[in-house]
Amino acid sequence: MIPVLRLDGVSFSYGSVPALADVSFDIAPGERVALLGRNGAGKSTVVRLIAGLQRPDEGTVWVGDWDTRDCAPEELARRVGSLFQHADQQLFASSVRDDVSFGPRALGVGEREVERRTDDALEDLDLTPHAAHHPYDLPPALRKLAALAGVLALEPALLVLDEPTIGLDRALRARVTRGLLERSAAGAALLVITHDLTFAAETLERGLVLDRGTLACDEPLAALLGDATRLEPFGLEPPPVAALSAALDLPGRPVRAAEAARELARVARGRPAP
Amino acid sequence: MRSLTLEGVSFWYPATDSPALRNVSLHVARGEIVALVGALGAGASTLLLVAADLAPRVTGGRLTGSAARHDRSGIVLPTPWTQASGMAFSVWDEVAFGPANLGWPTHEIARQVDRAIEQLELAPLASRDPVTLSGGELQRVIIAAILAMDPGLVLLDEPAAELDSDGARTLWRLIRLLAKEGKAVLLATSTLDALPEVADRVVWLEDGAIRAVGPPDLLADVAACDAGLGTSVATVWRTSGLPGPYPLTVAHALRRWR
Repeated sequence: MIPVLRLDGVSFSYGSVPALADVSFDIAPGERVALLGRNGAGKSTVVRLIAGLQRPDEGTVWVGDWDTRDCAPEELARRVGSLFQHADQQLFASSVRDDVSFGPRALGVGEREVERRTDDALEDLDLTPHAAHHPYDLPPALRKLAALAGVLALEPALLVLDEPTIGLDRALRARVTRGLLERSAAGAALLVITHDLTFAAETLERGLVLDRGTLACDEPLAALLGDATRLEPFGLEPPPVAALSAALDLPGRPVRAAEAARELARVARGRPAP
Repeated sequence: MRSLTLEGVSFWYPATDSPALRNVSLHVARGEIVALVGALGAGASTLLLVAADLAPRVTGGRLTGSAARHDRSGIVLPTPWTQASGMAFSVWDEVAFGPANLGWPTHEIARQVDRAIEQLELAPLASRDPVTLSGGELQRVIIAAILAMDPGLVLLDEPAAELDSDGARTLWRLIRLLAKEGKAVLLATSTLDALPEVADRVVWLEDGAIRAVGPPDLLADVAACDAGLGTSVATVWRTSGLPGPYPLTVAHALRRWR
Protein backbone atom coordinates (compact mmCIF):
# COMPACT_ATOMS: atom_id res chain seq x y z
CA MET A 1 0.00 0.00 0.00
CA ILE A 2 1.32 3.48 -0.85
CA PRO A 3 1.80 5.56 2.29
CA VAL A 4 -0.37 8.67 2.57
CA LEU A 5 2.78 10.62 3.35
CA ARG A 6 6.45 9.89 2.89
CA LEU A 7 9.30 12.20 3.78
CA ASP A 8 12.45 10.88 2.15
CA GLY A 9 15.73 12.44 3.29
CA VAL A 10 14.19 15.91 3.65
CA SER A 11 16.37 18.88 4.56
CA PHE A 12 15.33 22.52 4.69
CA SER A 13 16.83 25.84 5.84
CA TYR A 14 15.42 29.33 6.28
CA GLY A 15 18.31 31.18 4.63
CA SER A 16 21.27 30.38 6.84
CA VAL A 17 19.11 28.97 9.66
CA PRO A 18 18.83 25.17 9.30
CA ALA A 19 15.38 23.79 10.19
CA LEU A 20 15.34 20.12 9.09
CA ALA A 21 18.18 17.71 8.31
CA ASP A 22 17.66 14.41 6.50
CA VAL A 23 14.22 13.63 7.93
CA SER A 24 12.51 10.44 6.73
CA PHE A 25 9.26 8.80 7.79
CA ASP A 26 6.07 7.28 6.32
CA ILE A 27 2.46 7.52 7.46
CA ALA A 28 -0.10 4.87 6.47
CA PRO A 29 -3.84 5.47 5.87
CA GLY A 30 -5.73 5.77 9.16
CA GLU A 31 -2.58 6.16 11.27
CA ARG A 32 -2.68 8.67 14.12
CA VAL A 33 0.74 10.25 14.59
CA ALA A 34 2.01 12.88 17.03
CA LEU A 35 4.91 15.09 15.99
CA LEU A 36 6.59 16.25 19.18
CA GLY A 37 9.65 18.27 20.11
CA ARG A 38 10.94 21.53 21.53
CA ASN A 39 9.97 24.94 20.21
CA GLY A 40 12.09 25.56 17.14
CA ALA A 41 12.74 21.83 16.53
CA GLY A 42 11.31 22.10 13.00
CA LYS A 43 7.76 20.81 13.54
CA SER A 44 5.89 23.65 11.86
CA THR A 45 8.36 23.52 8.97
CA VAL A 46 7.21 19.94 8.35
CA VAL A 47 3.63 21.23 8.08
CA ARG A 48 4.64 23.91 5.57
CA LEU A 49 6.54 21.39 3.47
CA ILE A 50 3.64 18.94 3.38
CA ALA A 51 1.21 21.72 2.46
CA GLY A 52 3.51 22.74 -0.39
CA LEU A 53 4.16 26.21 1.05
CA GLN A 54 7.88 25.44 1.13
CA ARG A 55 9.93 23.12 -1.06
CA PRO A 56 12.60 20.89 0.47
CA ASP A 57 16.22 21.91 -0.19
CA GLU A 58 17.06 18.22 -0.41
CA GLY A 59 15.01 15.02 -0.40
CA THR A 60 11.39 14.57 -1.37
CA VAL A 61 8.01 14.98 0.30
CA TRP A 62 5.56 12.50 -1.21
CA VAL A 63 1.84 12.92 -0.64
CA GLY A 64 0.59 9.58 -1.90
CA ASP A 65 2.27 9.35 -5.29
CA TRP A 66 2.58 13.12 -5.72
CA ASP A 67 5.96 14.83 -5.30
CA THR A 68 5.11 18.13 -3.61
CA ARG A 69 7.69 19.86 -5.83
CA ASP A 70 5.37 19.25 -8.78
CA CYS A 71 2.18 20.39 -7.04
CA ALA A 72 0.74 23.78 -6.19
CA PRO A 73 -0.68 24.10 -2.64
CA GLU A 74 -4.23 24.17 -4.02
CA GLU A 75 -3.63 20.85 -5.80
CA LEU A 76 -2.20 19.33 -2.62
CA ALA A 77 -5.34 20.45 -0.77
CA ARG A 78 -7.16 17.62 -2.56
CA ARG A 79 -5.20 15.18 -0.42
CA VAL A 80 -3.91 17.20 2.55
CA GLY A 81 -5.90 19.31 4.96
CA SER A 82 -3.57 21.62 6.90
CA LEU A 83 -4.32 23.51 10.09
CA PHE A 84 -1.61 26.10 10.61
CA GLN A 85 -0.24 27.24 13.92
CA HIS A 86 -1.86 30.64 13.73
CA ALA A 87 -5.24 29.74 12.31
CA ASP A 88 -6.28 33.38 11.97
CA GLN A 89 -4.19 33.32 8.81
CA GLN A 90 -6.59 30.86 7.19
CA LEU A 91 -9.95 32.46 8.06
CA PHE A 92 -11.32 35.08 5.73
CA ALA A 93 -15.07 34.63 5.11
CA SER A 94 -17.72 36.70 6.87
CA SER A 95 -19.32 33.72 8.61
CA VAL A 96 -18.02 30.48 10.08
CA ARG A 97 -20.27 28.49 7.72
CA ASP A 98 -18.95 30.29 4.62
CA ASP A 99 -15.40 29.73 5.78
CA VAL A 100 -15.91 26.02 6.41
CA SER A 101 -17.67 25.50 3.08
CA PHE A 102 -15.06 27.41 1.07
CA GLY A 103 -12.64 24.46 0.89
CA PRO A 104 -14.99 21.78 -0.45
CA ARG A 105 -16.56 24.31 -2.83
CA ALA A 106 -13.11 25.21 -4.15
CA LEU A 107 -12.45 21.51 -4.70
CA GLY A 108 -15.43 21.52 -7.07
CA VAL A 109 -17.64 19.02 -5.26
CA GLY A 110 -21.42 19.40 -5.83
CA GLU A 111 -23.37 21.91 -3.76
CA ARG A 112 -25.34 19.22 -1.88
CA GLU A 113 -22.05 17.53 -0.94
CA VAL A 114 -20.59 20.89 0.14
CA GLU A 115 -23.56 21.33 2.47
CA ARG A 116 -23.21 17.83 3.90
CA ARG A 117 -19.49 18.20 4.54
CA THR A 118 -19.96 21.63 6.08
CA ASP A 119 -22.75 20.41 8.38
CA ASP A 120 -20.72 17.36 9.43
CA ALA A 121 -17.58 19.36 10.18
CA LEU A 122 -19.47 21.98 12.20
CA GLU A 123 -21.32 19.27 14.10
CA ASP A 124 -18.14 17.27 14.78
CA LEU A 125 -16.59 20.24 16.57
CA ASP A 126 -19.71 21.60 18.29
CA LEU A 127 -19.60 24.70 16.11
CA THR A 128 -23.14 24.58 14.73
CA PRO A 129 -24.32 27.28 17.18
CA HIS A 130 -21.56 29.56 15.85
CA ALA A 131 -22.18 28.88 12.14
CA ALA A 132 -23.61 32.32 11.44
CA HIS A 133 -21.04 34.23 13.50
CA HIS A 134 -18.21 36.19 11.96
CA PRO A 135 -15.03 34.21 12.70
CA TYR A 136 -13.38 37.28 14.21
CA ASP A 137 -16.21 37.69 16.70
CA LEU A 138 -15.16 34.35 18.23
CA PRO A 139 -12.45 33.93 20.86
CA PRO A 140 -9.08 32.73 19.47
CA ALA A 141 -9.60 29.13 20.57
CA LEU A 142 -12.90 28.91 18.69
CA ARG A 143 -11.35 30.61 15.67
CA LYS A 144 -8.85 27.78 15.58
CA LEU A 145 -11.68 25.25 15.83
CA ALA A 146 -13.45 27.02 12.95
CA ALA A 147 -10.28 26.68 10.88
CA LEU A 148 -10.10 23.01 11.88
CA ALA A 149 -13.69 22.53 10.73
CA GLY A 150 -12.69 23.98 7.36
CA VAL A 151 -9.90 21.43 7.17
CA LEU A 152 -12.21 18.53 8.12
CA ALA A 153 -14.70 19.63 5.44
CA LEU A 154 -12.07 18.93 2.80
CA GLU A 155 -12.31 15.27 3.88
CA PRO A 156 -8.70 14.72 2.86
CA ALA A 157 -6.67 11.51 3.07
CA LEU A 158 -4.22 13.26 5.39
CA LEU A 159 -4.91 15.79 8.15
CA VAL A 160 -1.86 17.81 9.24
CA LEU A 161 -2.74 19.81 12.34
CA ASP A 162 -0.49 22.29 14.13
CA GLU A 163 -1.53 22.73 17.78
CA PRO A 164 -5.28 22.11 17.33
CA THR A 165 -6.21 22.37 21.03
CA ILE A 166 -4.65 25.64 22.19
CA GLY A 167 -6.91 27.39 24.68
CA LEU A 168 -9.67 24.76 24.48
CA ASP A 169 -11.37 23.58 27.63
CA ARG A 170 -11.50 19.87 28.47
CA ALA A 171 -14.95 19.31 26.94
CA LEU A 172 -13.92 20.81 23.60
CA ARG A 173 -10.62 18.95 23.60
CA ALA A 174 -12.60 15.74 24.06
CA ARG A 175 -14.81 16.80 21.18
CA VAL A 176 -11.75 17.31 18.95
CA THR A 177 -10.46 13.90 20.00
CA ARG A 178 -13.76 12.28 19.12
CA GLY A 179 -13.96 14.05 15.76
CA LEU A 180 -10.42 13.05 14.84
CA LEU A 181 -10.90 9.43 15.92
CA GLU A 182 -13.97 9.23 13.67
CA ARG A 183 -12.02 10.63 10.72
CA SER A 184 -9.20 8.20 11.38
CA ALA A 185 -11.60 5.26 11.61
CA ALA A 186 -12.92 6.31 8.20
CA GLY A 187 -9.38 6.03 6.82
CA ALA A 188 -7.88 9.51 7.18
CA ALA A 189 -4.32 9.67 8.49
CA LEU A 190 -3.47 12.23 11.18
CA LEU A 191 -0.19 14.05 11.75
CA VAL A 192 -0.63 16.31 14.77
CA ILE A 193 1.89 18.75 16.20
CA THR A 194 1.11 19.40 19.83
CA HIS A 195 2.62 20.34 23.15
CA ASP A 196 -0.59 19.14 24.77
CA LEU A 197 0.60 15.65 25.65
CA THR A 198 -2.64 14.87 27.50
CA PHE A 199 -4.53 15.43 24.26
CA ALA A 200 -1.90 13.47 22.31
CA ALA A 201 -2.24 10.52 24.70
CA GLU A 202 -6.02 10.47 24.30
CA THR A 203 -6.01 10.81 20.51
CA LEU A 204 -2.84 9.49 18.88
CA GLU A 205 -0.98 6.20 18.74
CA ARG A 206 2.48 6.81 17.32
CA GLY A 207 5.06 9.38 18.39
CA LEU A 208 7.68 11.08 16.25
CA VAL A 209 10.09 13.41 18.03
CA LEU A 210 12.07 16.07 16.21
CA ASP A 211 15.21 17.27 17.95
CA ARG A 212 17.01 20.24 16.40
CA GLY A 213 15.76 19.36 12.96
CA THR A 214 16.45 15.63 13.01
CA LEU A 215 14.07 12.76 13.66
CA ALA A 216 15.17 11.45 17.04
CA CYS A 217 12.39 9.02 17.87
CA ASP A 218 9.62 7.03 16.15
CA GLU A 219 7.71 4.60 18.37
CA PRO A 220 4.34 3.79 19.96
CA LEU A 221 3.17 6.91 21.74
CA ALA A 222 1.86 5.33 24.94
CA ALA A 223 5.21 3.70 25.73
CA LEU A 224 7.05 6.93 24.97
CA LEU A 225 4.77 9.15 27.08
CA GLY A 226 5.06 6.83 30.04
CA ASP A 227 8.85 6.89 30.06
CA ALA A 228 10.21 10.03 31.72
CA THR A 229 13.83 9.13 31.04
CA ARG A 230 13.16 8.77 27.29
CA LEU A 231 11.28 12.08 27.16
CA GLU A 232 13.69 14.15 29.22
CA PRO A 233 16.42 14.62 26.56
CA PHE A 234 13.79 16.12 24.26
CA GLY A 235 12.60 18.64 26.85
CA LEU A 236 9.35 16.67 27.31
CA GLU A 237 7.79 15.25 30.43
CA PRO A 238 5.08 12.64 30.88
CA PRO A 239 1.54 14.03 30.96
CA PRO A 240 -0.06 13.83 34.44
CA VAL A 241 -2.07 10.67 33.77
CA ALA A 242 1.05 8.84 32.56
CA ALA A 243 2.97 10.16 35.56
CA LEU A 244 0.17 8.98 37.88
CA SER A 245 0.17 5.49 36.33
CA ALA A 246 3.93 5.26 36.74
CA ALA A 247 3.93 6.61 40.31
CA LEU A 248 1.21 4.15 41.41
CA ASP A 249 2.63 1.39 39.19
CA LEU A 250 -0.77 0.77 37.60
CA PRO A 251 -0.83 -2.38 35.43
CA GLY A 252 -0.15 -1.60 31.79
CA ARG A 253 0.88 1.96 32.72
CA PRO A 254 -2.15 3.52 30.98
CA VAL A 255 -1.71 7.04 29.61
CA ARG A 256 -5.40 7.70 28.86
CA ALA A 257 -7.64 9.01 31.64
CA ALA A 258 -10.47 6.47 31.29
CA GLU A 259 -8.07 3.52 31.24
CA ALA A 260 -6.12 4.88 34.20
CA ALA A 261 -9.35 5.36 36.19
CA ARG A 262 -10.39 1.79 35.37
CA GLU A 263 -7.04 0.34 36.46
CA LEU A 264 -7.00 2.52 39.57
CA ALA A 265 -10.44 1.24 40.59
CA ARG A 266 -9.48 -2.37 39.84
CA VAL A 267 -6.24 -2.23 41.83
CA ALA A 268 -7.93 -0.35 44.70
CA ARG A 269 -10.56 -3.10 44.98
CA GLY A 270 -7.80 -5.66 45.44
CA ARG A 271 -6.06 -3.71 48.19
CA PRO A 272 -6.85 -4.15 51.86
CA ALA A 273 -8.96 -1.36 53.28
CA PRO A 274 -6.86 1.30 55.06
CA MET B 1 -1.56 46.44 48.92
CA ARG B 2 -3.96 46.02 46.03
CA SER B 3 -2.86 46.21 42.43
CA LEU B 4 -6.27 45.65 40.85
CA THR B 5 -9.74 46.16 42.25
CA LEU B 6 -12.89 45.19 40.37
CA GLU B 7 -16.18 46.00 42.05
CA GLY B 8 -19.43 44.68 40.63
CA VAL B 9 -18.15 44.71 37.06
CA SER B 10 -20.48 43.74 34.25
CA PHE B 11 -19.41 44.11 30.65
CA TRP B 12 -21.18 43.88 27.31
CA TYR B 13 -19.34 43.64 23.98
CA PRO B 14 -20.73 45.95 21.27
CA ALA B 15 -24.02 44.85 19.75
CA THR B 16 -24.59 42.06 22.28
CA ASP B 17 -27.48 41.77 24.73
CA SER B 18 -25.94 39.20 27.00
CA PRO B 19 -23.11 40.36 29.28
CA ALA B 20 -19.68 38.71 28.95
CA LEU B 21 -19.06 39.52 32.63
CA ARG B 22 -21.72 39.63 35.33
CA ASN B 23 -21.24 41.48 38.58
CA VAL B 24 -17.61 40.42 39.05
CA SER B 25 -15.84 41.63 42.17
CA LEU B 26 -12.21 40.66 42.49
CA HIS B 27 -9.02 42.13 43.84
CA VAL B 28 -5.47 41.09 43.15
CA ALA B 29 -2.79 42.08 45.64
CA ARG B 30 0.82 42.90 44.88
CA GLY B 31 2.84 39.71 45.22
CA GLU B 32 -0.18 37.52 44.49
CA ILE B 33 -0.83 35.11 41.63
CA VAL B 34 -4.48 34.66 40.74
CA ALA B 35 -5.56 32.17 38.07
CA LEU B 36 -8.82 32.43 36.15
CA VAL B 37 -10.31 29.11 35.05
CA GLY B 38 -13.54 28.19 33.35
CA ALA B 39 -15.06 26.69 30.24
CA LEU B 40 -14.40 28.45 26.97
CA GLY B 41 -16.48 31.62 26.90
CA ALA B 42 -16.79 31.82 30.68
CA GLY B 43 -15.29 35.32 30.66
CA ALA B 44 -11.63 34.86 31.63
CA SER B 45 -10.21 36.64 28.57
CA THR B 46 -12.75 39.44 28.88
CA LEU B 47 -11.87 39.90 32.53
CA LEU B 48 -8.20 40.29 31.55
CA LEU B 49 -9.13 42.87 28.90
CA VAL B 50 -11.07 44.82 31.52
CA ALA B 51 -8.14 44.55 33.94
CA ALA B 52 -5.84 45.88 31.20
CA ASP B 53 -8.21 48.80 30.53
CA LEU B 54 -8.61 47.56 26.95
CA ALA B 55 -12.31 46.79 27.47
CA PRO B 56 -14.30 48.85 26.78
CA ARG B 57 -11.69 51.55 25.91
CA VAL B 58 -10.40 49.68 22.82
CA THR B 59 -12.96 46.92 22.28
CA GLY B 60 -15.97 49.18 22.60
CA GLY B 61 -19.00 47.95 24.51
CA ARG B 62 -20.33 48.96 27.89
CA LEU B 63 -19.04 48.46 31.42
CA THR B 64 -20.88 48.95 34.67
CA GLY B 65 -19.33 48.79 38.12
CA SER B 66 -15.77 49.95 38.68
CA ALA B 67 -12.32 48.74 37.65
CA ALA B 68 -9.39 50.39 39.39
CA ARG B 69 -5.74 49.71 38.55
CA HIS B 70 -3.23 50.83 41.13
CA ASP B 71 -0.20 49.85 39.02
CA ARG B 72 0.73 50.09 35.34
CA SER B 73 -0.42 46.90 33.64
CA GLY B 74 1.01 44.81 30.81
CA ILE B 75 -0.97 42.12 29.01
CA VAL B 76 0.08 39.12 26.93
CA LEU B 77 -2.82 38.25 24.65
CA PRO B 78 -3.80 34.70 23.66
CA THR B 79 -2.65 35.67 20.15
CA PRO B 80 0.86 36.89 21.04
CA TRP B 81 1.94 37.01 17.39
CA THR B 82 -0.44 39.94 16.93
CA GLN B 83 1.56 41.86 19.53
CA ALA B 84 4.85 41.84 17.61
CA SER B 85 5.77 45.34 16.45
CA GLY B 86 6.70 44.17 12.97
CA MET B 87 9.39 46.85 13.03
CA ALA B 88 12.28 45.01 14.67
CA PHE B 89 14.91 42.97 12.88
CA SER B 90 16.17 41.24 16.00
CA VAL B 91 14.61 39.74 19.10
CA TRP B 92 16.53 42.25 21.25
CA ASP B 93 15.03 45.17 19.34
CA GLU B 94 11.55 43.62 19.50
CA VAL B 95 11.79 43.38 23.29
CA ALA B 96 13.10 46.97 23.40
CA PHE B 97 10.16 48.34 21.39
CA GLY B 98 7.84 48.79 24.39
CA PRO B 99 10.40 50.28 26.78
CA ALA B 100 11.57 52.65 24.03
CA ASN B 101 8.00 53.85 23.60
CA LEU B 102 7.79 54.58 27.32
CA GLY B 103 10.49 57.21 26.74
CA TRP B 104 12.98 55.70 29.14
CA PRO B 105 16.69 56.59 28.94
CA THR B 106 18.80 54.27 26.80
CA HIS B 107 20.62 52.64 29.70
CA GLU B 108 17.33 51.82 31.44
CA ILE B 109 15.89 50.35 28.24
CA ALA B 110 19.01 48.16 27.86
CA ARG B 111 18.86 47.06 31.49
CA GLN B 112 15.21 46.04 31.30
CA VAL B 113 15.59 44.32 27.94
CA ASP B 114 18.65 42.35 29.02
CA ARG B 115 16.85 41.29 32.17
CA ALA B 116 13.69 40.16 30.36
CA ILE B 117 15.73 38.27 27.76
CA GLU B 118 17.57 36.47 30.54
CA GLN B 119 14.34 35.70 32.41
CA LEU B 120 12.77 34.08 29.35
CA GLU B 121 16.05 32.33 28.41
CA LEU B 122 16.10 34.08 25.05
CA ALA B 123 19.81 34.95 24.90
CA PRO B 124 20.54 32.36 22.15
CA LEU B 125 17.82 33.97 20.02
CA ALA B 126 18.63 37.63 20.78
CA SER B 127 20.01 38.44 17.32
CA ARG B 128 17.46 36.37 15.35
CA ASP B 129 14.91 38.10 13.13
CA PRO B 130 11.52 37.62 14.88
CA VAL B 131 9.92 36.46 11.62
CA THR B 132 12.17 33.37 11.64
CA LEU B 133 11.00 32.22 15.09
CA SER B 134 8.70 29.32 15.86
CA GLY B 135 5.35 30.02 17.52
CA GLY B 136 6.62 29.06 20.98
CA GLU B 137 9.78 31.11 20.60
CA LEU B 138 7.73 34.12 19.57
CA GLN B 139 5.41 33.65 22.54
CA ARG B 140 8.42 33.87 24.87
CA VAL B 141 9.63 37.00 23.04
CA ILE B 142 6.27 38.72 23.51
CA ILE B 143 6.18 37.81 27.21
CA ALA B 144 9.70 39.27 27.53
CA ALA B 145 8.60 42.39 25.64
CA ILE B 146 5.76 42.96 28.10
CA LEU B 147 7.92 42.28 31.17
CA ALA B 148 10.61 44.66 29.85
CA MET B 149 8.12 47.48 30.39
CA ASP B 150 8.22 46.56 34.09
CA PRO B 151 4.45 46.42 34.69
CA GLY B 152 3.30 46.19 38.30
CA LEU B 153 0.21 44.26 37.21
CA VAL B 154 1.05 41.38 34.87
CA LEU B 155 -1.89 40.01 32.86
CA LEU B 156 -1.37 36.76 30.97
CA ASP B 157 -3.91 35.02 28.71
CA GLU B 158 -2.92 31.41 27.97
CA PRO B 159 0.78 32.28 28.37
CA ALA B 160 1.97 28.67 28.06
CA ALA B 161 -0.20 27.77 25.07
CA GLU B 162 2.58 27.40 22.53
CA LEU B 163 5.44 26.60 24.88
CA ASP B 164 7.23 23.28 25.09
CA SER B 165 7.61 21.59 28.48
CA ASP B 166 10.92 23.36 29.23
CA GLY B 167 9.51 26.71 28.18
CA ALA B 168 6.39 26.21 30.27
CA ARG B 169 8.46 25.25 33.34
CA THR B 170 10.61 28.35 32.89
CA LEU B 171 7.49 30.49 32.57
CA TRP B 172 5.76 29.15 35.68
CA ARG B 173 8.99 29.55 37.68
CA LEU B 174 9.32 33.11 36.39
CA ILE B 175 5.74 33.93 37.38
CA ARG B 176 6.50 32.84 40.95
CA LEU B 177 9.61 35.04 40.86
CA LEU B 178 7.64 38.03 39.59
CA ALA B 179 5.20 37.63 42.47
CA LYS B 180 8.09 37.39 44.91
CA GLU B 181 9.36 40.71 43.51
CA GLY B 182 5.99 42.22 44.40
CA LYS B 183 4.20 42.16 41.07
CA ALA B 184 0.54 41.18 40.91
CA VAL B 185 -0.16 38.43 38.39
CA LEU B 186 -3.59 37.64 36.96
CA LEU B 187 -3.62 34.85 34.41
CA ALA B 188 -6.11 32.78 32.44
CA THR B 189 -5.15 29.26 31.49
CA SER B 190 -6.57 25.96 30.36
CA THR B 191 -3.37 24.30 31.61
CA LEU B 192 -5.02 23.35 34.89
CA ASP B 193 -2.35 20.85 35.90
CA ALA B 194 0.23 23.63 36.31
CA LEU B 195 -1.83 25.66 38.76
CA PRO B 196 -1.25 23.78 42.06
CA GLU B 197 2.43 24.77 41.82
CA VAL B 198 1.80 28.29 40.57
CA ALA B 199 -1.38 29.97 41.75
CA ASP B 200 -2.13 31.43 45.17
CA ARG B 201 -5.81 31.68 44.36
CA VAL B 202 -8.03 30.18 41.69
CA VAL B 203 -11.12 31.98 40.43
CA TRP B 204 -13.69 29.76 38.73
CA LEU B 205 -15.72 31.70 36.18
CA GLU B 206 -18.98 30.39 34.80
CA ASP B 207 -21.06 32.21 32.23
CA GLY B 208 -19.37 35.52 33.04
CA ALA B 209 -19.83 35.31 36.82
CA ILE B 210 -17.60 34.10 39.63
CA ARG B 211 -18.74 30.64 40.67
CA ALA B 212 -16.06 30.01 43.31
CA VAL B 213 -12.77 31.40 44.62
CA GLY B 214 -10.25 29.47 46.63
CA PRO B 215 -6.81 27.92 46.85
CA PRO B 216 -5.75 25.56 44.04
CA ASP B 217 -7.38 22.73 46.02
CA LEU B 218 -10.52 24.01 44.34
CA LEU B 219 -9.33 22.06 41.28
CA ALA B 220 -9.82 18.78 43.16
CA ASP B 221 -13.34 19.70 44.18
CA VAL B 222 -16.17 17.38 43.07
CA ALA B 223 -18.03 20.20 41.33
CA ALA B 224 -14.89 21.38 39.55
CA CYS B 225 -14.10 17.85 38.37
CA ASP B 226 -17.64 17.44 37.08
CA ALA B 227 -17.36 20.77 35.24
CA GLY B 228 -14.16 19.63 33.51
CA LEU B 229 -12.03 21.90 35.68
CA GLY B 230 -10.38 19.32 37.91
CA THR B 231 -6.70 18.57 37.52
CA SER B 232 -5.98 15.42 35.52
CA VAL B 233 -5.15 13.49 38.69
CA ALA B 234 -8.29 14.61 40.54
CA THR B 235 -10.41 13.77 37.51
CA VAL B 236 -8.96 10.27 37.18
CA TRP B 237 -9.54 9.72 40.90
CA ARG B 238 -13.15 10.85 40.66
CA THR B 239 -13.78 8.76 37.54
CA SER B 240 -12.36 5.69 39.28
CA GLY B 241 -15.04 5.93 41.94
CA LEU B 242 -12.54 6.13 44.81
CA PRO B 243 -13.73 8.26 47.70
CA GLY B 244 -12.78 11.92 48.11
CA PRO B 245 -11.19 14.19 48.91
CA TYR B 246 -9.43 13.77 45.60
CA PRO B 247 -5.69 14.28 45.24
CA LEU B 248 -4.69 17.38 43.29
CA THR B 249 -1.34 16.22 41.94
CA VAL B 250 0.65 13.05 41.37
CA ALA B 251 2.56 13.71 44.61
CA HIS B 252 -0.71 13.98 46.56
CA ALA B 253 -1.99 10.78 44.92
CA LEU B 254 1.14 8.91 45.85
CA ARG B 255 0.85 9.97 49.49
CA ARG B 256 -2.81 8.92 49.50
CA TRP B 257 -2.04 5.57 47.86
CA ARG B 258 0.56 4.67 50.45
